[in-house]
Amino acid sequence: MNANSQPVLSVKDLETVFHTGAGTVRAVRRISFDLRPGERLGIVGESGSGKSATALSILGLIEPPGEVVGGSVLLNGRELVGRSDRELGAVRGKEISLVYQDPMSALDPVKSIGKQLVETIRRHDRSISRKAARKQAVELLRDVEVPQPERRLDEFPHQYSGGMRQRVMIASALANRPDVVLADEPTTALDVTTQAQVLELLNRLVSERGAAIVLITHNLGIVAEFCDTVRVMYAGRLVEAAATRTLFRAPAHPYAGALLRAVPRPDRLERGPLPAIPGAPPNLAELPSGCSFEPRCPLGAGRPKCLQDAPTDRALGARHVECHFAEEQLKQEVTA
Amino acid sequence: MSVVSTPPAALSLDSHPPVEDAGRWAAARSLLLGEPAAAAATIVLAILIAMAILGPIVWHKDPAAIDVGAALQHPSWAHPMGTDSSGRDILTRFDYGARLSLAVAPLVAIVGAALGTVVGLLAGVFGGWFDTISMRAMDAILAFPPLILAMAVTIGLGVGVRSATIGIIITAIPWYARLLRSDALSLRSRPFIEAARALGATRSRIVRRHVLPHVLPTLLVQGASVFGYAILTLAALGFVGLGAQPPTAEWGTMITDGLQYAITGQWWIVTFPGLGVFFAVTAANILADRVQAVLDPRAGGRA
Amino acid sequence: MLRFLSGRVLGGIASIFGASILAFVFLRAIPGDPARLVLGPLASPQAISALHKQMGLDDPIYVQYWRYVSDFFSGHWGFSYSAGQSVGQQIGSRLPASLELGLWAFLFAFVFAVLLALLSTYRHRPVIDGITRALAFIGLGTPPFWLGLMLLVVFFSWLGILPGPGSRIGDSVPLPPKITGMLTIDAILAGDPRAFLSAFVHLLLPAFSLGLASFALLVRLLRANLAEVGREPFLVVVRSKGLGRWTAHRRHALPNAFLPTLTASGLILAQLIAGSVVVEEVFNWPGVGKLVVDSILRQDFSVVQAFILLSACAYVAINLVVDLLYGVLDPRVREGAAT
Repeated sequence: MNANSQPVLSVKDLETVFHTGAGTVRAVRRISFDLRPGERLGIVGESGSGKSATALSILGLIEPPGEVVGGSVLLNGRELVGRSDRELGAVRGKEISLVYQDPMSALDPVKSIGKQLVETIRRHDRSISRKAARKQAVELLRDVEVPQPERRLDEFPHQYSGGMRQRVMIASALANRPDVVLADEPTTALDVTTQAQVLELLNRLVSERGAAIVLITHNLGIVAEFCDTVRVMYAGRLVEAAATRTLFRAPAHPYAGALLRAVPRPDRLERGPLPAIPGAPPNLAELPSGCSFEPRCPLGAGRPKCLQDAPTDRALGARHVECHFAEEQLKQEVTA
Repeated sequence: MSVVSTPPAALSLDSHPPVEDAGRWAAARSLLLGEPAAAAATIVLAILIAMAILGPIVWHKDPAAIDVGAALQHPSWAHPMGTDSSGRDILTRFDYGARLSLAVAPLVAIVGAALGTVVGLLAGVFGGWFDTISMRAMDAILAFPPLILAMAVTIGLGVGVRSATIGIIITAIPWYARLLRSDALSLRSRPFIEAARALGATRSRIVRRHVLPHVLPTLLVQGASVFGYAILTLAALGFVGLGAQPPTAEWGTMITDGLQYAITGQWWIVTFPGLGVFFAVTAANILADRVQAVLDPRAGGRA
Repeated sequence: MLRFLSGRVLGGIASIFGASILAFVFLRAIPGDPARLVLGPLASPQAISALHKQMGLDDPIYVQYWRYVSDFFSGHWGFSYSAGQSVGQQIGSRLPASLELGLWAFLFAFVFAVLLALLSTYRHRPVIDGITRALAFIGLGTPPFWLGLMLLVVFFSWLGILPGPGSRIGDSVPLPPKITGMLTIDAILAGDPRAFLSAFVHLLLPAFSLGLASFALLVRLLRANLAEVGREPFLVVVRSKGLGRWTAHRRHALPNAFLPTLTASGLILAQLIAGSVVVEEVFNWPGVGKLVVDSILRQDFSVVQAFILLSACAYVAINLVVDLLYGVLDPRVREGAAT
């Protein structure tokens, strides 16, 4: 990771809403982060926190009734927000790509794997012949460790196992050597062993090709192992941003703290119930005026400042955090 | 206080308190009028029904009155829909035709539903040889394009509205039977049915209180579709001379009457009866969609 | 796969037999004595009973049924006394006209249904979607014979831009050499654009009238399937590869939505068969449908009998073909389970 270079992806104040019958859901509420070349950034949050919407918003794939209503996304210095679908099409799959969750339904069931890989290759290289593209596809399959790639190229998604389908997705996402890969819950639908294998694969390929990756997940373990930096997302906002080690050692936001405490630790062998976070995530169509985490916050529940003022992003040492009482949180963590 | 108290509400067979009548009316109103297309359909049907019932009373003309001197007249104040080749007032015949179609259609829908439901439910609930035989019979009926079978029945039983109605009913029965059978099969193994049986409910009670409310939406949707289908088919049978016979006024036969005059300038003879069919059937189809959207939204579109 | 196939074929055969029983039951109840119809009202009782014997009307019912069925499947469909031709000949000579009409009706229905369904779903476009749904309702609720008449009134009577009923090709246009009996196809095969154009123009109104109902059916089903498939994750992934909305929808959503739509083929054939009876009557189109209507009017029911059972066979056959196609077209069925 080169700390001095320009960020390859720069998101500023990105805002996305969904107009539903039940009101306007504010899924992404002014999110900002920078991604440097080769960096591995993790975005962690519960389901419903707006993580997937963030990825789709960056790619410009939000369709009605949703829309991106504000902010900027700079990819290699070029603005993506507001661009036409055609202009974005030139960039998607080439400079920035997506690895999606649920490999079961992420591949077209009636087209062969080979056809789908070739489609990715030929979309961004019109001059390449079908034969040459197929050869490339075979190599891609080999890269992702699919056995007997020549034979399996013409098979269909249902003939692959879940783990192999995910490998194909990774192959497809990395086919044109993108600068940024957005991986939305890439291992969630897989069993634990396969998870490890796929992550290992992703790790290797991303390093080999020098791509930066945004790994979106709810699994803290993956973040700890894989990511250089991490952002914690809650109710559409990034409430904490820090280097992975920094965060895991001592989170500054109460939500992050609660998340870490909720992870079962085989090395601690505590008794009693798992410290789950009480309550449920807020309704993104009816957000309270103060801090959106307040009702569930071990630190701020009921506190007037938390009820009235929504906290804004501020620097705290090497991290950024959105909390009025981050210092208090840190003190707790140190003494714990 | 006895030890054995009345069973808790959750286990009672009467655990669903009856919807209050006020609630029912509001629900029906929202169903029929709550959406622009549905509201339009309801109004159109209401107009047609009004024309059918009140038309002949308010507009005192004889649908069979031949008056050759007044033949083939344009729509005018005296004859808002014009006259046909025999001088008969078309508006009057339209109203009588509406009476016929709007009486046959619900009859078909209801009788077909009744017969089809009995067959389907029994087949699904009891299975065995009854199931096999009845489903084979349904398959035999379904092997024909519906109009064609209705034609066969009408020819066989002697042409006329009665035979046509019977034929249309016969073609409609399998649709209900199939739906109800699959509903019955899926319900047969559902936990709440087993619970009811465990509590000692008789089969008829189970059917009445637990199965029927469950299948009612299906029946309503299919009924509305069949309503429209019946009107279309009756008109088609009338058109080829197998349904209503002259001088009975029926929309299909009226179109046949006007067939040769349509392209020579007397367009009104065929236009109005056809509009009658079009509006009635389209309204029925719109309402069928609406009922399905409201009562059974999880089901995908039934083609 | 083979077992599945043979099961379906057996089911189809059973359906046909059931249908034949049904047809036999209803048609045997035909009013009027067939023998008397042949010999006329002045025939003597002896002549009538002799003809009875000859026509086999004295035999027990199951023998009559067996004869009915075996005659049908061996192609002996009887003799049309009023036309002086065998029923088989009559139907055969008029089949191409009906086939041509049905083919074009289906083509119109199919092309427009696919186009409109795609347009309404590939992007969020409530206006086009509303128009499509309205057209679908109109198509389902319009009696085809009335539609044909209205179209004739507008395009033939008032505007005069399309030909009227009664002919398949312009009077002054020479017929192309007969290969299939379908004028448009024969014209193409003979490389005769003038004949093709003339035949096509004569086909326009009847084919449209016949096809509208099928269009409505197809567009509703396809639209619903496309909307459902459009929500699948793989469409998002395809778009993330850089494909545009239209391409993604056409190349990936459409094939997936197509398979379940295939099941409507049987219904569409039923619509075309039933519709041809009334549409051909309106346009005086010399096909099988018109033959049936004329025969009904003449009380010559041998044609009608054959037609009825024929329709059932066609209907059952196409459902069988669709089941087969499904097994062939869907790779999940074709290639079997995961390795």
